[in-house]
Formats: sequence, structure tokens, C-alpha cells
Amino acid sequence: MTVSPRSTVDRLDRPSAYYLGKNKKRKYSQDEPDKVPEDPADNLKNATTLYVGNLSFYTTEEQIHELFSKCGEVKRLVMGLDRYTKTPCGFCFVEYYTHQDALDCLKYVGGTKLDERIIRTDLDPGFEEGRQYGRGKSGGQVRDEYREEYDPGRGGYGRAYADDQKQREEEEYGKGR
Amino acid sequence: MVDYERRHHGPKGGRKRRYREDDDYDRRQRRRYEEPLVAKVRRQLLTIAESAARRAEDDVVNIAKSVADNYEDEELRQTFVDISVDLALEQPLKIPFIAATVLAANSYKSELVSDILTKASEYLQHYIDNGAWREVKLLLRLLGSLQILYEGDGIFPILEELFERAVVLQTASSEDLLGLELVKIILFTIPYIMASPITGFETQANALLEKTDIIASTPHALVDLVNPFSPEYDTSSAAQSVISLLQSQLQQEASRNWELACLPRPWKGGRDNEEEQKPLEFGSKHAFPQITVPDPVRNGSRAIFPEVYMSVYSNQEMETVPPTSNIASSLLRDVLVDTINILDFNRIATAKYLIDIDCYFTPHTFVKRATPFDRLRDISGDRPTWKPEDVAVDAVFSQLFQLPSPQHKLVYYHSVLTECCKIAPAAIAPSLGRAIRFLYRSLETIDLDLSHRFLDWFAHHLSNFGFTWKWSEWIDDLELSSVHPRMAFIIGALDKEIRLSFAQRIRGTLPDPYQDLITEGKEKDTPDFKYSLDTAPYANEGMEIMQLIRKKATDDEILPVINTIEEQARAMGVEDPMLPSTDAFVTAICFIGSKSLSHVLSCIERNKERLLAIGPKSIRARRQVITSVMEYWADQPGIGINIIDKLLNYTILTPLSVVEWALVDKLEAGTILARAHVFEMVSATVGKVTNRLRQIVAARTQPGLYEPQLSVLDETLNREKADMQALFRVIEDSIVSVAEGSNDEMVERGDGSGDLSEDEIIRQWSRRWLRAFRRKAGVEESFIAEAMTTATPIGTAAPLPQEGTSAMDGPVDGDLDIADADGAADVS
Repeated sequence: MTVSPRSTVDRLDRPSAYYLGKNKKRKYSQDEPDKVPEDPADNLKNATTLYVGNLSFYTTEEQIHELFSKCGEVKRLVMGLDRYTKTPCGFCFVEYYTHQDALDCLKYVGGTKLDERIIRTDLDPGFEEGRQYGRGKSGGQVRDEYREEYDPGRGGYGRAYADDQKQREEEEYGKGR
Repeated sequence: MVDYERRHHGPKGGRKRRYREDDDYDRRQRRRYEEPLVAKVRRQLLTIAESAARRAEDDVVNIAKSVADNYEDEELRQTFVDISVDLALEQPLKIPFIAATVLAANSYKSELVSDILTKASEYLQHYIDNGAWREVKLLLRLLGSLQILYEGDGIFPILEELFERAVVLQTASSEDLLGLELVKIILFTIPYIMASPITGFETQANALLEKTDIIASTPHALVDLVNPFSPEYDTSSAAQSVISLLQSQLQQEASRNWELACLPRPWKGGRDNEEEQKPLEFGSKHAFPQITVPDPVRNGSRAIFPEVYMSVYSNQEMETVPPTSNIASSLLRDVLVDTINILDFNRIATAKYLIDIDCYFTPHTFVKRATPFDRLRDISGDRPTWKPEDVAVDAVFSQLFQLPSPQHKLVYYHSVLTECCKIAPAAIAPSLGRAIRFLYRSLETIDLDLSHRFLDWFAHHLSNFGFTWKWSEWIDDLELSSVHPRMAFIIGALDKEIRLSFAQRIRGTLPDPYQDLITEGKEKDTPDFKYSLDTAPYANEGMEIMQLIRKKATDDEILPVINTIEEQARAMGVEDPMLPSTDAFVTAICFIGSKSLSHVLSCIERNKERLLAIGPKSIRARRQVITSVMEYWADQPGIGINIIDKLLNYTILTPLSVVEWALVDKLEAGTILARAHVFEMVSATVGKVTNRLRQIVAARTQPGLYEPQLSVLDETLNREKADMQALFRVIEDSIVSVAEGSNDEMVERGDGSGDLSEDEIIRQWSRRWLRAFRRKAGVEESFIAEAMTTATPIGTAAPLPQEGTSAMDGPVDGDLDIADADGAADVS
């Protein structure tokens, strides 16, 4: 018999459904149908990097460092930037020296507040050049394109949504009003 | 201090159903299929006793009956057995309810109990073999609660055997802690045996208690070390060890016929009459499973230290937590602390169980949830006035303030308190408020390490709740000297708040009298560059270096300007001309890098060679690097110490230089000891050294290591250990001079009589510093000594490779990542 007790409550140090879902989709679109699909969580079993989301555009590296170093020494901090303006666009990558520190961060810091916003953390296979830029059409994060709520910490309304609104107003009331 | 925007409804979400009628109605409407039995039993068992709206006694009987009636369903049976044991190990609050289910099951189908005993005993054996003593304690608690099911003496013989091991360990060494741990386990098992439905074991329990007395009641030498309050100010019972307290509480309980009022008895009183009669028979008897206690026993991975009982709610005008004279104080604390430490992987679940604490004990152990403190007076005489939220919060603080360190990172305990506040703001926030006031009042006497943990938690907690605090109640203390512990706390807390937010925001949360504490400099993103004033010495050269660094000039271009400064300094008779040149160079780097941490790091990276060359040329110039950084960031010292930390990683600074800078150069007659950020800086520096040493020890003590690597690692270990000891000695010597008042600057200030009240405050600081760092030194020494007992002796050669295996397959290569342990700071 092996002694392997099972958790009686959920664990907070697992990869998010978002990560697992995103990587699953990619797998099926590959050309090799015979290939045994690998578990997307395998990439993360020694991960020391976290993706951190829902930051305010105004949160500084120092603030992030102050909070995240409570889980261990921060090895590297990469701010997410708007592809065009090169200004912070509300996310970052935090790299620790050890996997355990990254897991502890998921458990103890993910879902708490930084700069008075609830932040999101997700295990990440590691930062690569290029990933510091937003992937949205207008340069920021995709989620900021279509957001219908006003979020003063993240540039007001979603950009596509705001453009859309503006266009509609112009159609209704004529330009220049 | 509260926040209403997000309310959780338990770890699995969803609302609790309050009305049975609604529940039944829902089922008729929506359920199209019957929930499979195994899923239902699983759910019932996992959530046993969780809801105040259901009677746990009914669930106990229902679960037992379902499983017994379907004994041939293997999946169901296995689920029942597995979850029962898993729950005991992970949610100890539920052990009495699991035990009751097992008792009920025995009366229906005693084979089911044999299965549970088999699994529990296999686990117990495993944990005893591996020295996982918390798990041993919990499984013994489950097994002890089933005492009525055993033939003969049941669980007592194994407790006796554990006691014999403890005696051997205690006899061998007066410093023994493992033996004490075993006695603690025995003592924490006894109440659960005696609260279970047995009669006639009083003699055994009393005999065991009589034997443990001598071990449990003798104070251990290390108790003072982990006392949360400095012994010199210690009042009353604060220093009582958990084990001696429990011993006397149990003796008292024995004299009261083992009343154990708070422990639940969920096997009594199933709802319908037929069941009420039945469970008390409990079916046929079982032999207590065979367990072998190894001789000698060993300790697992968790280090053992004596534990001291601490409460942030002692000495209140109304009793909101059990007093130490009542055994409930120990029983509640023990099971809550285990719950908190085991469930660190889901702080939301932890918080939920803490909030629901009243579900797991005898009804009326506590007052109703969220009863305001002021209303406790209205409660009639003999009813307890314990507030469930105070008991819960107290347990979290006991861990946050555990010395030398708690099981998990401090931020975990922060997060549990945050979640508690989110789940039940109206109940928890006032309890936290009273805890904060107690700690604030204790600032002069609490251990220095702990006062900083308090500071750090306080600022972090407020940052999660809009930085709201009733600052107005401390306004009078703003008159105190800046070295007074309370004033130092206020200054330190505001600084920490700013670090998590920004000065303007924090200013907005403060009443008028505090406004002066947020200086203009704190609101400046980029502090001024002192060389931009023409009147500053070396102003031209300073500006020139700054511009060169800004345009990323090479070192060859910078060198002439550095030389100019040094020549001028020499001409003016400056003893060490490298000081002004280093000042200009480092200040310029800080100014250019002031935009963000990344900026300053890439700036350091570009000028690494010159920075690295400073120290070897002049020790004083190396300390000038620290002065320049800390002066540039004088208004935001958090940023300064962060840069110092990175400079240590680059080995531009040495740990010794940081300590000497703080405690020799800048001691300022000891006033520096009152500054929170200086303690933070020195602690972090010492922490770097001790962490590295622990990595080397881990490398040296790994199994399968042979010569020549053994000698190489041993030499590294000895060298670095000597360095660490030297570092602690510098700390010791410089603080002792303050403590004794023999520090020159100290003698010079004041009228020489040394009677200034501020002088006494500073001496008090120095005693607290000494205590904290002597403890750190002691803990590290004993860690190394302990670890080295299992190390392979020097000179051990690798065994000859056996046929078929290559020598290269050795488990380790001896060449560990020790070089990496410095953290070649590539923070970019």
C-alpha cells in the first residue's frame, strides 16, 4: 500500500482553466493526429514564472516587487507594455528562483489586492522576448479592447468599444459634436 | 477596514441552503436523476458538520447506514475508508464526527471498521517511521476516539511505548526536543480518548499523566528563546510552554471526571428514537492494530522548537477567548493551528473553517457569531463569553508570531486573515481591531522580530482594505520622540503603506496631525540630483558623470572625470579620495535609474565592472556605495534597501559591509536601531548569508556523496560558516556597546549622565536587537549541527562500481549550483 492522501479541498496552486484550455486547443490544430497529446500542465511542473494580470496601468515595478517578494526573492520582473506606446498595459511576468516560491505566490498572493485591485496570477512556462507586448489590436491587452465597463485604472472604456460608441454617436448626431 | 465588494460563499462557492422545504422543492422540480450513492456519501462525508443548519448527528447515522447497507459496493466502501482517513489528516476539526460515523458503522457492519483500522494503521506506521509527528498525532486522535471498539487496553499500550521513547531521549540530553514532541502527542491524544463514549479507563489515563508530568512540567532551556515577549518585561503566564500548560490542564480535568466540555459528542442523540438507543452498543470489538515504534524514533522534515502559548486577547475586561486555566484554550488552539498549517494550499477554505469554528464544538461553547464586544457584558454569569472570531483570529496570530519561524511563509497567514475579513467583515474586522490595539500597546516589550512581522502584516492588510484605519486614536502618540517604539511603528507602517501604494494616496487616508509625516520628498518620483546645485562640492564632475552614464558612455570615458574628483579631493586633503568619486558615480547611477527598478538594474549592469572594482580598493568606499544609495533614496528607503539587496547579489557589496555600514558607521548613538527599514535591511542581509549556508549544508549532507567532492564541500562549508559567525559577531559587538552605554557617540550626547529617557529607550532597542540576532545565530548553529549528524564523514570513498552499472550513474555530481545560489541578479 502506498501512503498518498488525497486533498479534501481544492488546491489553489494549479494552472488555471484558461491556461489548460488555451493549450489544449493549440494541440488539436496540429498536423500530426497520431501524436500522443501531452498534458499541458507538464510544461509547468518546474515553472518559476507567473503571469500577473488585472494590474492598473499605473502600478509600478516597485509596488509589484514589494508585494511579490513576500513569497521569495524576485529574480526578474518584466512589465507588460502597449505594443505601440511602450507604456504599461496592465500585466507583467514575475520570475522567482524556485518553483516552490511561484506556487506559494499562487496560493497566497493570487486573488488578493495590489494597488487596490484584485490581481490574477497564473503559472507560466517562462518569459520569451515579445511576450511583454499586448496582443490587442490597438496595442494593449485583448480584454481591454471590448470591455464595456469604465475602468479608470485601465484606460477607461475598452478601446474598440469606445471607438464603436463614438462612431455610433457620430452617425446619430453628426460629426463634430 | 472592511470591504464588501466580494463575498465568498465557501471554498466551493454557492449559498448554503437554509430551508429544508426549499431543498425538497428544488429536488422535485429539477432533479431528473438520482445522485449516485457513492457521490452522495462522498459529499456528505466531506462536508460533515459544516452546516449549522443540519444536525451532524443525523448525517453521522445516515452515512454509516448507507455504507453498511451497501457493503458489497466496493467503490462506495473504498470511498468511505479513504475519505475518513484523508479527512482526519487534513481537516482535524472533523475528527470527532468521522469517529462518530465509524462508531455507528460498527454497529451496522463491523467489517467496515476493520477496513478503516487497516488503512489508518498503515498510514500511522508510515508516519511514525518517517517522523511526521503532526500526522501521527491526528491519526492517534482518530484511533483514540474509537477506544470503545477495541479489546483490552486499546490505544494505551502504544501511548506507553511512545512515552518510553520520550524517556530515553530526555535522559540522553537535556536539550532534547523530540521527546517533548512525543509527550505532547500523548497529551493531546488523552482528551479525545476520554471524551469518547468509554468508561473505566480513568486509571490508565491518570497513570500516564502522572508519568508525563516530570517531562512536561520541566521548563526547557529554549523556551525563553521563543517567548514572544522579552523575558525582562514578562508579565504573568506569557512564557508558559504549550506542553506544561496542557499537562496542568489535563490534571485539572482528571480531577473533574474528564468533563472536557468543549469537545463534541456527535454519537449521542440521533434524531429518531430507535437510532438513539442503538449506537451506544457500538457492535463487536476489534484488536487494536499492530504498530511498531522504531527505536530510536527520528524526526522528519519539520524542525521542532518549544512552543509558547500566546494570545492577543489576554487581559481584556471581558473574556473573549478561553483562559489558559481552561483546557479549551489548548484544545481549540491545537486543532485550529493544525487546520491552518495543513490547508495552506487553499486559504479560502482555511478561512471558511475558521469562521465556522462553532460548528465543530459543543453547542454554546461560544457566543453567537459577530456578537459585539460591548454586548458580552449582558451575558449571564455562568455562560462562556468566548467569541468564535476572536478564537479563530488568535490562532492565526499565534502562527504569524511563532518563533523562530512558522511553518509557512508569513504572507500565508496575512492571506488567511484577509480572507476571513472578506467572508465575514462585520464579525472579523472588530476582532482584528482589538488585536491591533493589543499589539500596538505591546510594542515596547514584544520581540523585535515580531514587532516587524506586526508592522509588515498591518500595512499589507490595510492595503487589501482601502488603507482604512482609525489613525485618529493614536494622534497623542505623535508627540513622542521619533525613537519611541510607537512612533517608530507609525513611521514604519506609513512607509510600508507607501511602498505598496504611493504617497499621495496614503496622505489622503490620514488625519491632519499625520500630514507632516508624509514629506514632500516622499511624493517625488525622482528625487533631486544633488550635483545639479552649483554650490555642491564636485558639482561639475557629478553632472558630467551623470550625463556620461545617461548616454551609456564606456568606462574609458568616465574614468577621467573620476580621476578629476579624486585629484581635487586629494588637493583638499581628503583622506580617502575614493569616497567623493564613488559618491558621484553611485548617486548618478541612482538618479539615472530612478525611473524604475529595471532602469537602475540595467544601469548597474552596464557599470558593473567599475562598481565591482570599488570594494577591493577601499573598504570605506564600498560602504560609501551604501551611503550614496540610501541618501539618494532617503525619503523612500524601501527603494534604497531594494537596490542594496541587488548590489549584494552582484557581490558589489558584501554582507559585512552592509552590517558595518548600519551598525558601525551610521549607528548614530543607537538611534538607527529604531528605524524599521534598517532592521529590514540587516535582517535581509543576514538572511541571505544563512540561506546560502543552508544550501551548502544541504549539498554537504546529501546521501551518496564521496571524495573528493566531500572535502571540497566541507571546506566551503567551514569557510562560509566562519564568515557567518564573523558577521554575527560584528552585530553582537556593536549593539552590545549601545546596550551597555559604552558607545562613544552615546556618551557624548546628552549631559553625560546617561539619564536621558531617550537613552533608556535606545538601550531598550539594543537589548531587543541583541535578543533577535542572538536567536538567529543560535538557530543557525543548531541547524548546522543537527544536519551534520547525518552527513557522510570526510574521506569516504565511492564504493567500487558494481558490474553493469557505471560509476557515472552516481546520484549526485557534487558540483552543486552553489555558485548560482548567489543569485546572479539578472533582474532586468
